[in-house]
Amino acid sequence: MGSHFLPAQVKKMDTLVFQPMFGDSTLVLSTYSYKLNDKDSIQFDVLKFYISGIEFLNKGKPVWKEENSFHLIDASQEKTMSVILKRSSSIICDQIKFNIGIDSTINVSGAMGGDLDPTKGMYWTWQSGYINFKLEGISNVCKSKNQEFQYHVGGYESPFNAFQTVTLDCKRSNKIEIDIKELLSGIDLSKQDHIMSPSAEAVVLAQKISKTFSVQAQ
Amino acid sequence: MKNKISIFILIPVLLSAFMQMKMRLFETPANWPKPQYDFSKNPLTEEKIELGRALFYDPILSKNNTISCASCHSQYTAFTHVDHALSHGIEDRIGTRNSPALMNLAWQKIFMWDGAINHLDVQALGPISNHLEMDEKIENVVAKLQSSKIYPQLFLEAFGDSVITGQHTLKAISQFMLTLVSKDSKYDSVMRKQAAFSSQETNGYKLFQKNCGNCHKEPLFTNGEFENNGLTVDTLLNDYGRVSISKDPNDSLKFKVPTLRNVEFSMPYMHDGRFKKLKQVLDHYTDGVQTSKTLSPHLQQQIKLTSNEKVDLIAFMLTLTDKKFLFDQNYSYPKHILLSSRKK
Ligand code: HEC
Ligand code: HEC
Repeated sequence: MGSHFLPAQVKKMDTLVFQPMFGDSTLVLSTYSYKLNDKDSIQFDVLKFYISGIEFLNKGKPVWKEENSFHLIDASQEKTMSVILKRSSSIICDQIKFNIGIDSTINVSGAMGGDLDPTKGMYWTWQSGYINFKLEGISNVCKSKNQEFQYHVGGYESPFNAFQTVTLDCKRSNKIEIDIKELLSGIDLSKQDHIMSPSAEAVVLAQKISKTFSVQAQ
Repeated sequence: MKNKISIFILIPVLLSAFMQMKMRLFETPANWPKPQYDFSKNPLTEEKIELGRALFYDPILSKNNTISCASCHSQYTAFTHVDHALSHGIEDRIGTRNSPALMNLAWQKIFMWDGAINHLDVQALGPISNHLEMDEKIENVVAKLQSSKIYPQLFLEAFGDSVITGQHTLKAISQFMLTLVSKDSKYDSVMRKQAAFSSQETNGYKLFQKNCGNCHKEPLFTNGEFENNGLTVDTLLNDYGRVSISKDPNDSLKFKVPTLRNVEFSMPYMHDGRFKKLKQVLDHYTDGVQTSKTLSPHLQQQIKLTSNEKVDLIAFMLTLTDKKFLFDQNYSYPKHILLSSRKK
């Protein structure tokens, strides 16, 4: 990432596509089983995450910022993976910046609507706060009941603030990939099959998540 | 000419009617602090309050349609659970904590005994989805409301939209809870110089201010903080309070200081309902306080009260009973909405 820096005049880039991947293949929920190595496999049932505060930069300066920028990307609903940006004119930019998750201000502001509505399944009920990132599935590696794993990553208060900001170089492309294989390479599924509340482990996982996003040149 | 005059008369009349309506919805009593709740994000209206009231009393919020918020928060006991130490929920599963009295919530910045909830709007999500309480999902609640006979219309009247959302459901419930203001006890009349304490109550008030007022701070009778008041740990429940949320060892054994308004009716007492009588509470404060690392500085020195002084102190606490609040028709079961819905 970032090895070839291409300042790009982005003309009609008014849609961003967030594409979940498993290595080189696009990630499909439930029906597919992916190989972790020669003998272990994995299947995914839920992948949902918030993208917020989308912004474009040129030479480090913001050139365009989305208002009210909160998007729930849900791998089970393809249309949520395309984020339509309401931009009137073309802009010149060399970087895109966004957050994974919901900032602390929104987290303490009560009931929200739209993609932030608590019916979206991304709000903890027994302790206030948004789940920034949710990944669930099964793998023979897991020692848990039914070989399930569940990662609900969130937390807005220090020292367990899991909110992450990502800045990527634009590459004349509107496609941002998130590689779950890369993410899992940093987790020992046999030891850590669930994270369900704000904690030090959640923060570590959030940092790993932020490193699996990349812009793919087309 | 005639028209002009009537307009001149009408404007002030309408204005004052409008003001009164506003006043009735929510009012900060004189000498009370500013509410914590940001009303600008959820401005009160009659329709929303009434909708919230219906939701509060409607068991449609629970999985098998048997438990409502009011099952555990009954008006006649200051919105706590009648006579249950640990709240009973769906299928009579027993919860792990005593349900707190609900009042003056607009002044509260953090909710639950351990502060797990950071905003009144999202409070209802806790009991709705708690396996021991209502065991339902907000997604399903919204779907059930949408397909009910009465709610789409009520949401339309309240929010201008008959498509029901989680946000609107929660904000309506908040609206009703925000109106639960208890401010008309004898204590309040005395403060407004409309009544006087008996000599026993006066003595009790002095003892209260000296020994209890730091934590149960007037006029809300809570300082809104988490404190360790020296209760022993119940080894069956192993509830250490605030620390389970903050993960900070300095918060071990700290619980939210509850208000003492209407304490006459909010028994049993403490987070696990371990005391049935106010006398037992006072015996705890004089003789039962357990020393530990996190014990509040306000209780480091033993509280000394004679048995007569305890009687006086209880007499004062009874002046915090607000009959108007306990019997206010605006807070009771909304027959006009919920019973009409049963009609096919
Ligand atoms: C099964 C019993 C039960 C039901 C049903 C129930 N509650 Fe509660 N409520 C409790 C208990 C117990 C607590 C305290 C829990 C804790 O501190 O962990 C509580 C706490 C609260 C609080 C926080 C008060 C404070 O001072 O911090 C509010 C507000 C509240 N409930 C509102 C509601 C609403 C609204 C509903 C319906 C959606 C509801 N409750 C349903 C038992 C119940
Ligand atoms: C250090 C702060 C502190 C002081 C001083 C204090 N309290 Fe409390 N009080 C608390 C806390 C905290 C609780 C809740 C504890 C729990 O449930 O774990 C509580 C609970 C209570 C309750 C139970 C209320 C309910 O609804 O369950 C009563 C009654 C009470 N206190 C009365 C008093 C009286 C009377 C005094 C003075 C003799 C006093 N308190 C002094 C902090 C304090």
